[in-house]
Amino acid sequence: MKKVININFQGRVIPIEESAFEMLKGYTDSLRRCFANEEGRDEIINDIESRIAELFGEALKKGSVCITDSQVNTIIDNMGRPEELNQDEPGLNPGAASQHQSATANDAQNMPPYRDKLFRDNNDKFLGGVCGGLAHYFKLDPAIIRVAFALATIGWGSGIILYILLWIILPSRTLAGIASTKRLYRNPDEKVIAGVASGIASYFDIAIWIPRIIFALPLVFGILSSFLNKYFHWFYNHESFSKIVFSSFGGTLLVIYAVLWAIIPEAKSATEKLEMRGEKVDLNSIKNTIQEDLQGFKSRAEKWGKDVSEKAQQMGEEVTQTVKETSANVVNETRPIAKSGISRLANAIGILFKAFFMFIGGVISLALLAALVAILFAGASVFPLKDFVLDSAPQQVLAWLFLLLFFGIPIIAFITAFIRRIMGVKSGNNYLGYTFAGLWVIGLVSGIFLLAGFSKHFEVKAREKQEYAIAQPSSGKLLVTVADSEISTTTISSGIKVSGLLRIDGDSLQLSNISVHVEKSNDSLYHVTGTRLSNGKDGEEARKNLVNIQYGFTQQDSVLKLNRGIHLAPNAKFRNQQLVLTIQVPVGKKIQIDRSVRNRFFFLNIADNEDGDDWSDFETKNNWRTGVEYEMTQEGLKRTGNTDNLKSWDGDKEDETNPMQDYRKSRRQLENELEKKNRELDEIKKELEKPAEPKKVALHTVPSDKKAFFYWFQSANSNSAVIREDKVAAAAYIFYHKLI
Amino acid sequence: MEFCILSIIRQGEVYPSDLVEKMKSANLHILEGTLYPLLTRLKNAGVLTYRWVESNSGPPRKYFVMTEQGLQFYHELELTWNELAAAVSALTQPLTTTNNS
Repeated sequence: MKKVININFQGRVIPIEESAFEMLKGYTDSLRRCFANEEGRDEIINDIESRIAELFGEALKKGSVCITDSQVNTIIDNMGRPEELNQDEPGLNPGAASQHQSATANDAQNMPPYRDKLFRDNNDKFLGGVCGGLAHYFKLDPAIIRVAFALATIGWGSGIILYILLWIILPSRTLAGIASTKRLYRNPDEKVIAGVASGIASYFDIAIWIPRIIFALPLVFGILSSFLNKYFHWFYNHESFSKIVFSSFGGTLLVIYAVLWAIIPEAKSATEKLEMRGEKVDLNSIKNTIQEDLQGFKSRAEKWGKDVSEKAQQMGEEVTQTVKETSANVVNETRPIAKSGISRLANAIGILFKAFFMFIGGVISLALLAALVAILFAGASVFPLKDFVLDSAPQQVLAWLFLLLFFGIPIIAFITAFIRRIMGVKSGNNYLGYTFAGLWVIGLVSGIFLLAGFSKHFEVKAREKQEYAIAQPSSGKLLVTVADSEISTTTISSGIKVSGLLRIDGDSLQLSNISVHVEKSNDSLYHVTGTRLSNGKDGEEARKNLVNIQYGFTQQDSVLKLNRGIHLAPNAKFRNQQLVLTIQVPVGKKIQIDRSVRNRFFFLNIADNEDGDDWSDFETKNNWRTGVEYEMTQEGLKRTGNTDNLKSWDGDKEDETNPMQDYRKSRRQLENELEKKNRELDEIKKELEKPAEPKKVALHTVPSDKKAFFYWFQSANSNSAVIREDKVAAAAYIFYHKLI
Repeated sequence: MEFCILSIIRQGEVYPSDLVEKMKSANLHILEGTLYPLLTRLKNAGVLTYRWVESNSGPPRKYFVMTEQGLQFYHELELTWNELAAAVSALTQPLTTTNNS
C-alpha cells in the first residue's frame, strides 16, 4: 500500500507513488549537482525532464494507473545515473578512447580524478578540510577523523599542530565523494523507538540487533537483576554489582539514545537512504569527468585532430599513447609543484592567521560555554537559599525555569550544534532551533517576571533603633572586634558560604550586612545602639521583617566582640536586612576598630558624622583606618600615637583642625623632599666634577708626536691599568690631532 | 562519440530518443543522460540547432538539425577520423600479417 500523489511535471499532471516521486526528485537533484558548473545546465535538465515526462505519459497511456518505483527505476536506468553517464564512453571506440587521452594531456586544467593523493577537501570541510581530505583518502567517515583530531588536541595538544601543518602542506581540491558518502541517519523503515539503532547499524555495516542489544542490554540486566533480587535474596552480592555497573551505564546509554535521536536526522528521501547505506549516490564523483569532456569540446576536437594526424604519421599509436600518458603524468606532477613556491608560502601565512583567529574564536566560545555551565552550577549551589528569597510557589517555579532554560538551553544548543557539525549532519529542519529559541525566551520571560515580583518586596524601608547595654571599659579604651564565627564547624558540613555576604546555618540565614559608625557621645559613657533596617512590600511587612533580625555581641571589659552577622529566623525572607551599629565614644576616651571588622563585614562604614539619622548619605572618610587607635576630642576623632602605621608628628595638635594638619603634613613632606632633591643634586654635581681631574692630567702625559703617541698608545694598551685611566684622553687626543 | 552523433544528425533532423535507438542498432550504447548534455554543448557551440515540433502525445519535442557551421565541422572531423582509421589499420595490418606468417 503506497500513497499516490499528483505532481505537475513539465506542465503535465502525473500521478506518482510518493516513494517513486522521492526517487525522481533525488535523481533530478543529483543531475543538477552533476551539471552544477555546466553552462547550459537548466536546459539540459529541462530536456531530460521533458523526456522523462514523455516516458511517463507513454506509460500512463499504456494503462498504468500511476507511476511506480520500478517504472522510475527503469527510466532512470535508461537515462543513465549521473555516475554512469560517461563510464561507457571510453569503451565505445578507439577514437573516443584516444580522444579522452589527449583531452587529459592537452587540457591539464581538467584534472583527472585524484584517488590516490592526499588533499584537503573543499567540499567537506569544517575548518580547512584536512579531516575531509584524510577521510577521503582512507575512505573513512570524516566524523571519525574529526573526533580523533579533537581527542588528540584535548589529550596531548598535538592534534591542532598536526592539523595546521597539514592545512599548510596539503593543497586544496574539491574532492568528489568517491570515498565514503555514508552518513548517519535514523532509519525510519526499521525502527523500534526512533530508528537510531538501525541507523547506527547501517552506518557501521553491522547487523541491526548489535546496537539494539547494546542499547537494551543494561535495561534488560537491570530488570533481570531486580527480579533476581526480589526472588533470590542470596544473589544479593551480584545484584549490587550489576546495579552499580548497569544502572549508571544504562542511564548513560539512554541519554545517548535521546541525544542521538535529537541530533541525527531521519533518512527521508531516497538519496538520504542511499547515503545512510553508503551506496553510491556520488553523482559528484563523475561531475568533473563529464564536464571535462564537455567543456570546450570544439577546440579539443580540433586539437585532437591535429595531434592525431601528426603523431599517427610519426609513430605508432601505442607509442603515442605512452607518450601522452607520461606527458599527462608529468603535467599532473609538475603543476602542483610549480604552482606552489611563493604562493604556497603566502598561503601558509594566511592559514596560520586563519587558524589563529579560529583558535581565538574557539577559546572564546569555549569560555562562554564554561561560564554558562559555571553559572548553572553556581545557581544550583545557591539553591538552598531560595527559601529565604522566594516566598511563593509560582516564584519558585519561575526561578527554576529561569535557571534551567535561560542558562541551560544555550549549553545544550551549543553542544548539539557542535556534534552536528562534527557528524556532518545537515540540519534538515529548524524545529530544533525554534524549540531552543522558544525555551530560551520562556526562561528569559520567567526571569523578568521573577525580578519584577521580587523587587516588589523591596519597595518600602523600615527602621528601628535599639540601644544595647554595655559595661563601661575600665581602661578608657574600647576595642571593637568581630567574633570568630560560632558556627564555623557547621558551615563545613551543612552550611554554604557565598562570597562572605550570606551564610546558611542549618535552616537559618546569616547576613554580614552590618555597618559600624563611631560618634561622639553626649555624656561621659560609651553607648552602643543598633539600627535595624529592612525592606518590604509595605510598611507593615517591612516592620515585620525587622522583628526577625537577631543580632548580638559579647563584651569582655574593653573588648567588644561583635557577632559575625545578622541571624534571620528560619522562615524569614531576605529583604535587604541591614544593621547599623553606632558606637558613641565620650570625649577623652579612646576607640580602636580591629582589622577583622573590615575583613569580615561585607558592608563596612566607619563614619563619625553627627547626624546619625541620615543614613542615606554615610560619609566614609578615607583617612579612617582599622587597626588604629583613635581618641575622641571635642572636634571629633583624632589619631593617637599608639600605632606604627604613621609617624606621629609634634606640634600643638590639640588646636589644629584636620585640614590644617593635612596641610602641615604635606608641607613638611614637601620640605623633606626638597631637601632630599637638593642633596641628590649636590651629589650629581660632585660626580660630574670628579672625572674632569684625571682627564687633565692624562692629556699632559699623552705624547704630542704621532709616532710617540702610537708607541704610548700601544704600551698603554698592553697595560690595562693605564688604558682605563687614559681612555678618554686618548680618544680626545686622536680626535684633536686628527691622527686617524 | 560526437562524430557518431553528428553523422546521424547530418542525415536529417532527429529526436534524441530516436538517436539513442539508432546508436543502439549500430551496437553503440549511449545513455540519454549523456546525450542531452552533449547535444546542448554542441548546440551552444553553434554546431547544432533545434526546432520545436508538436507531438500528438505530450509536450512539443525538440528536433535537432545541423547548421552550416556544423557541416563544416563535421567534414573536419570526418577527415581526421579517416586519417586516424587509416593510420590505425596501417599499423595493425603488418602486425597481424607477421603474426600469421
